[in-house]
Amino acid sequence: MSDTEHEPSRTRVPMPIATLNDPHLGDAAKNPGRVEGIIAVVFVLGIIMMAAFGAAYWQNWNPWILGGTLGAGLFLLGFGLTAWGKYLMPQGPFVEERHVLAGSTAERNALSAALVERSTVVVKRRRLLGGLFAAGSGIFGIVAIFPLLRSLGPVPGTSFEKTDWRRGIRLVDSNGRPIHKDTLRAGNIVTVFPEGHQDDIQGQSMDQTVLIRVSYEAFTTIKGRETWAPEGYVAYSKMCTHLGCPVGLYEQQLQLLVCPCHQSMFDVTNGAVPQFGPAPRPLPQLPLGINSDGYLVAQSDYHEAVGPGFWERTTT
Amino acid sequence: MPRLRSRTRRPSLAAFLLPGGLLAVATLSSLAVFFPGASASGQTAPSHVSSTGNLAKQCGVVNLKGVTSVYGTGNPFHSPNLNCSGGHIISYGDSAIDYANPPASYISAGALLFAQTCSSCHGSRANGIGPNGAATIGPNLQGVGAATVDFWVATGRMPATDIKAVEAERKATRLTPQQALELAAYVNSLDPAVPAVPTPNLKGADLAAGADLFSLNCAACHTITGAGDALAFGTNAPSLQNRQVTPQQVAEAMRIGPANMPRFTGNLTDVQVRDVVAYVTEKIQHPASPGGAGLGGVGPVAEGFVALLLGVGGLALICFWIGERS
Repeated sequence: MSDTEHEPSRTRVPMPIATLNDPHLGDAAKNPGRVEGIIAVVFVLGIIMMAAFGAAYWQNWNPWILGGTLGAGLFLLGFGLTAWGKYLMPQGPFVEERHVLAGSTAERNALSAALVERSTVVVKRRRLLGGLFAAGSGIFGIVAIFPLLRSLGPVPGTSFEKTDWRRGIRLVDSNGRPIHKDTLRAGNIVTVFPEGHQDDIQGQSMDQTVLIRVSYEAFTTIKGRETWAPEGYVAYSKMCTHLGCPVGLYEQQLQLLVCPCHQSMFDVTNGAVPQFGPAPRPLPQLPLGINSDGYLVAQSDYHEAVGPGFWERTTT
Repeated sequence: MPRLRSRTRRPSLAAFLLPGGLLAVATLSSLAVFFPGASASGQTAPSHVSSTGNLAKQCGVVNLKGVTSVYGTGNPFHSPNLNCSGGHIISYGDSAIDYANPPASYISAGALLFAQTCSSCHGSRANGIGPNGAATIGPNLQGVGAATVDFWVATGRMPATDIKAVEAERKATRLTPQQALELAAYVNSLDPAVPAVPTPNLKGADLAAGADLFSLNCAACHTITGAGDALAFGTNAPSLQNRQVTPQQVAEAMRIGPANMPRFTGNLTDVQVRDVVAYVTEKIQHPASPGGAGLGGVGPVAEGFVALLLGVGGLALICFWIGERS
């Protein structure tokens, strides 16, 4: 049988139309003004939180602000969505009265008409809420692209190749105290920074250096570095050449520096050549000197880039 | 009454699960917050002086290889409380730490004890030379100072029971604290040296400064919770949460640098050592665990496991419960 033959025998489908006295609609759905307003406020707060998350990320604020704004934003958007579904949408259970599945043209037209009709009565498209939710989640989506965008530039240039160590600059500890040549005994270790940089971010990241007194006589870690370790003092970059963790574990009998992250081990007396682990290169050694007052100073900057490898790295 | 066509029950469950899961992830990520400790309190910068000959004469010959000439770092000749008698250092130190050598009356008992328990590995004169002139298994102990001997014996690391062990572990000791001091008195009498046995005065210690110094100097190996961790080639940094570790032993370890531990002398004053000792014995050994269970303080694997299991699992259960009720 063709559709045209069948069509006259089918009746118009009675599509359900939600009315204001539909028992599936809660009180709030029948008078949505207040609830809709509350949900709108929740979404607006969510938008503000997501925007604050973006600002916090952009400005590199504290981690608990990042986590707090992201968590609050996601919670508010989720809360709004949930309240929307619970208070403004019809609640089940629903019983569907079915007929033969295939519909005729007239039935499909009737369906379309019924849908249009229904949607214009009570269960409205809530453009305001939809728009606000889209704005909140959209801002989150944009913020999520920040790391990708930031990784695209600017090109670091030589900023990864240079530290604040300069010829004659004194080594100081985290309190800013300079290190006199008599300060340490053999077996001592202290983390040092270029004087004046012990409190800034660059100083505490790229400039951080471990100073170890291995013995009381000058020694040579690697041929060509004969003058770099006066009076048994030797200094290496504290940034692991693998992933940049602070290499602060000094074992004075084994003369090893150990990285806490992946157990790379560096030979202190032989130029910090890796003995074990994933580190691909020795820790860069800082050439040390002693000034006329007896304080330890740097002879120069590191002769190679500190820390893990990067694409533009020119030194080996 | 016409009926609506859709079943909204499943979508409402999903509407809880999705934001719930995202919230869980956000909550977990914010768990990684790191609270920087209070900044170190102002410490007077140590200055450098040379020891004076008069005092050295009055106190006899003292091997100073364990200490530096920085003020307030345990050098007896820069100590306001130096007390010498009969050519020997009795005690020295300041208000933060008292250093005292065991009394000379302990020496004879210590000599007997040393012959019985130590001489087979360290030589009869504690100089690392055996009867045939060859080096003994154990190192030369002359000139290490009383604190070194006391630390190794009082913590049970010596006498060693397994000479092939990579390093001596802390264990229950057969020797009493008194016997440890007797051994220290004897060994120190062979080549008088410093440091003497320290007694930190923990009253007035600055715990915040101690926490700062701990995170800077100790946490690399012992971890920030003091739980201890593995190091290279079978060695390890022992747990400091062990409440058998006494304030005296912490101070000794920092000043002498036992085994693979670096020695902290010139860069830490007695006041700073005292602050660290107070932090270890009052906070590390009595963790507050504000989150509830400390989980041993062994790091993110245990904590992440519990957070995932309880956090995400609990949220999922709540979601199902809400779904069942609606």
